[in-house]
Amino acid sequence: MKNILKNKTAVLGLIIILLLIIIAIFGKYITPYNPSIGELSDSFKPPSLTHFFGTDDQGRDIFSRIIDGSRISLKIAIISVSIALTIGTFLGSIAGYYEGILDTIIMRFMDIMLAFPSILLAIALMSALGKGINSAIIAISVVSIPQYARIVKGSVLSTKQNEYVEAAKMVGNSNAAIILKYIIPNTFSPIVVRATIGISEAILDTAALGFLGLGVQPPQAEWGSMLGAGRGYIYNAPHILLFPGIFITITVLAFNLFGDGLRDALDPKFRK
Amino acid sequence: MNKKVIAKIFSVLLTTSMVLTGCSSGNTKSVSEDKVLKTLIYAQPTEATGLDPIFVSDTQSSRPISNIYEGLVRFKSGTTQVEPCLATSWKISDDSKVYTFTLRKNVKFQDGTAFNADAVKINFERQMGTNKKADMAYATMIFGNVKEVTKVDDYTVNVVLKNVFTPFLSNLALALGPTIVSPKALEQYGKLTENPVGTGPFKFVKWDKGQSITLEKYSDYWGNKANVDKLVFKFIKESSVRANELLNGSVDIAESIEPSDVKKLEDSKIQVLKQTTVTTTYAGFNTARAPFNNVKLREAVYHAINSADILQYTYQGYGEVAKTALPTIVPGYDNTVKPYEFNVAKSKAILKETGNENLPVKIITNTTRQKLGESVQNFLAKAGFNATLQVYTAKEYKQKVIQGEGDIFIYGWVGVNGDADIFLNLLNSKEIESNLNLSKYSNPKVDTLLAKGKSLPNGEERNSVYKEIQQILAVDVPWVNLINPSDITGTTSKVKNFKLQPTGLMLINDTDKN
Amino acid sequence: MLKYIIKRLLMLIPVLLGVSIMVFAIMHLFTADPTASILGDYATKDQIDNLRQQLGLNQPLYVQYWDFLKALSHGDLGTSIITQTPIAKDIAVKFPATIELAFTAIIIASVVGITLGILSAINQNKLWDHISMVISLIGISMPTFWLGLLLIIFFAVQLHVLPVSGRIQIGMEPQNITGFYLLDSLITGNMNSFVDALKHIILPSLALSAYSTSVISRMTRSAMIEVLNKEYIRTAKAKGILDKSIIIKHAFRNALIPVVTVIGLQLGGLLGGAVLTETIFAWPGIGSYTIDAILKSDYPVVQSTVILLASTFVIVNLIVDLLYAYLDPRIKYM
Repeated sequence: MKNILKNKTAVLGLIIILLLIIIAIFGKYITPYNPSIGELSDSFKPPSLTHFFGTDDQGRDIFSRIIDGSRISLKIAIISVSIALTIGTFLGSIAGYYEGILDTIIMRFMDIMLAFPSILLAIALMSALGKGINSAIIAISVVSIPQYARIVKGSVLSTKQNEYVEAAKMVGNSNAAIILKYIIPNTFSPIVVRATIGISEAILDTAALGFLGLGVQPPQAEWGSMLGAGRGYIYNAPHILLFPGIFITITVLAFNLFGDGLRDALDPKFRK
Repeated sequence: MNKKVIAKIFSVLLTTSMVLTGCSSGNTKSVSEDKVLKTLIYAQPTEATGLDPIFVSDTQSSRPISNIYEGLVRFKSGTTQVEPCLATSWKISDDSKVYTFTLRKNVKFQDGTAFNADAVKINFERQMGTNKKADMAYATMIFGNVKEVTKVDDYTVNVVLKNVFTPFLSNLALALGPTIVSPKALEQYGKLTENPVGTGPFKFVKWDKGQSITLEKYSDYWGNKANVDKLVFKFIKESSVRANELLNGSVDIAESIEPSDVKKLEDSKIQVLKQTTVTTTYAGFNTARAPFNNVKLREAVYHAINSADILQYTYQGYGEVAKTALPTIVPGYDNTVKPYEFNVAKSKAILKETGNENLPVKIITNTTRQKLGESVQNFLAKAGFNATLQVYTAKEYKQKVIQGEGDIFIYGWVGVNGDADIFLNLLNSKEIESNLNLSKYSNPKVDTLLAKGKSLPNGEERNSVYKEIQQILAVDVPWVNLINPSDITGTTSKVKNFKLQPTGLMLINDTDKN
Repeated sequence: MLKYIIKRLLMLIPVLLGVSIMVFAIMHLFTADPTASILGDYATKDQIDNLRQQLGLNQPLYVQYWDFLKALSHGDLGTSIITQTPIAKDIAVKFPATIELAFTAIIIASVVGITLGILSAINQNKLWDHISMVISLIGISMPTFWLGLLLIIFFAVQLHVLPVSGRIQIGMEPQNITGFYLLDSLITGNMNSFVDALKHIILPSLALSAYSTSVISRMTRSAMIEVLNKEYIRTAKAKGILDKSIIIKHAFRNALIPVVTVIGLQLGGLLGGAVLTETIFAWPGIGSYTIDAILKSDYPVVQSTVILLASTFVIVNLIVDLLYAYLDPRIKYM
């Protein structure tokens, strides 16, 4: 852990992440306006002192919506990565530990999912499940499962050979216990790194779905949907397009910085 | 260096460059004897789905179709009135069930074959009876009521209806469904989806899938021949992009311009035409169940919505507030109707006195009308309703409305034939089963009036029937009438004589280009 | 080697079969049918029911799937339910558009990415390294579609120097030889078309290349650093035996393997994933074609395009694996 803190960029990433989390949790106390309600007569106002980031096509305050949207983006990203991680780890451990038929079936299925262009899979799933936060979470989780399964399987395969695992087996520990106590903890570091980057990917995926109009239901603010809604106003109100994109980039950047730092700290190969 | 030398060098450079450019422009100005073809490029949002008039239902397909094909009758330019086209005159029998059409002589299809009574019979019958296929969008609406089509002689046709139906003639003026295609082409191709052959002023040249459809002037057209040689329909999805193409001159006409793009165009000397049409939008109530089986609560919603603001800010003023279920240009429109006015206090009062404060209301809409849905939800939320919005994709929206997913559903209606019946019939209790009456509204008085209107000949008596219906609906409010949006189309200054039609059809009649 | 290739190709079949079942299931089980897209607002309940019957949508799913497989085995990709035109024809036009865009993007990404990566590696931890790493990080953090919109706003709307969207201006299409406008116009010597096609492809390929550029530059940098740090190079440097340019060339050749792998993987991803960029720039490729079909429930189109994209992806992966084996003599395949 000390190593991470030594890495300056990782610390920067962590600080931004913490800031975002604070904003997400306490958002509703700091939004100057109700993010979901607006006055039509106020629509399309450019940034000003009364509306820091301007107003959108329904007269809603964009600054308030950005704050409100942070909650949604983080929530969807963290939940879907958690789900994908859990399911992926489960599948990967079984495949790696038992090998054989189980391995083949699971890994073939993962291959199938990986061959399917992920954005199209997400769109198809959203089209099937309908708009809404839960659908987005399911779609993004499903699309992300294979990568975790693969990492875990690889890690399990190498850990399995270790002596203490052999020893545990001989002593009579059940397979489940061995997997939980010895194997999975060793997959910890590559998984954590992957998950951090996975969160940034999930945020981009959420934004992409939102942009296409497949994300949350209006009037709920979500950064991608705000960009999608603003697309028709390139000429007369480009400010609508500017801020959500900036915040998406900053958030994703933060997680990438932190993830990079984690990897540098945890992976001996990358130590300078 | 002294000034003289500099001046000399300069003049040498100047002359050299002049000579060089003079030479090169001389080279490119290779003399060509061919006349430059006058091409009109029309930009539309989505690609036509097909060019056989009976197998498509979308306005976007009607763009090329209305310029390739014609029907027995057509809408007089600038109106919703019917005038002769491929039929020069017609007689309606005393019992109003037999229409005798006298056909125009010396009309040739674009493949050289002759237009006559046989052609009409073939065209109509391919959509009737056992020939009718499920994917013929308008076949039932237009020909479902036709008993038979008989040829009297080469240029006279009788069409016999099962029941009296005054709007039948207006239906024959539609671009999709009753327009006449070449029987020879039908024999050759079966479906004319990619091989259209009609009698209109433009004939088909080619279709670059995903990009454009090209037509050229039909020089044997029976009427006023086109002024332009080529007509190209280009598909550009975004309004801002269509607007941009107008600005840099790569298209001549661009339709479906969003209200927010208009100012930029007008600032740059693009002519922007606006026209109210037969399109209306409304928020429909599910009147079959709580809470909106209670007319008082419907009234409360009506008071909560500020349509004037929606018109001014969302539509930038291009259109009109819909005061009744009929757009203003439809005969029978009642301008004396007073809809419930915008008054948030009244909404809140009604909610309070009926014990419905914070009434949960689920509003549904499709992606096309998402902004309208958001505005309605916004207004209801501010008036004390606990209003939520759910947006569905276009393909599943109607099913959701039918299933009663929403207490309020945002809908639009294009009354393509410009007849009052096509609008108000949506509130006919007989149409609940067929899913046209999505509000499930049932009022026997309205039903009786509607039946009467279908059979009365056009005129003041018929109009007064529809006026009475509108007065009833203004009190009963199965819908909140929202906005009649204007069609907005931009043309460059080179385009002359292009007019928008109140029927919403796009016609390059005598449009010309400099 | 050949046996390995054949074995891998054979393994593709169950994967692709699996993909086809998956897309079939998702589309048919859960999404609304296309009748609304075909019939429009005036459709009555009876009409809708009749149309479903006519389209064969009421048959049991396994029957519909079997019909689909049968047709596919004859090379019949089916007909679009909505436009009634053969899908194969549409794909033949749209796939080259996507390929052209993806290749242009990957070329930009490779050239810029490798250059940035080498420069970073040589100047490790100096200012230049930090700057270029920051640029790379931003590149993988920006949503592609947002970058595309920004490029459009800046170059097309504000500066008016580049077109807003599309692949080429109407009437400027070059003669169809390969389907790739840039190539075809060069082959036929049609410079006007070439310039116009180039103007249209710049912005979308720039937007599309941002992510890949960053990935490639980061990979190049770390791969080169790894080689540069290797004992034998350090020893050679210390002994003053090798001069700088030879070190760099040698390092690069060894770093090539992971870099080429990454480029290949990125290309595979681009071919399937340019969906959003195509939508924003109205690029008439497979991505926008598929999205439209999904949103309208045009089942046959979605089925065929997804299988096409999945096949492309796995084949590109296979080529990358083979290339990897070819380049790295330490890897042997049974």
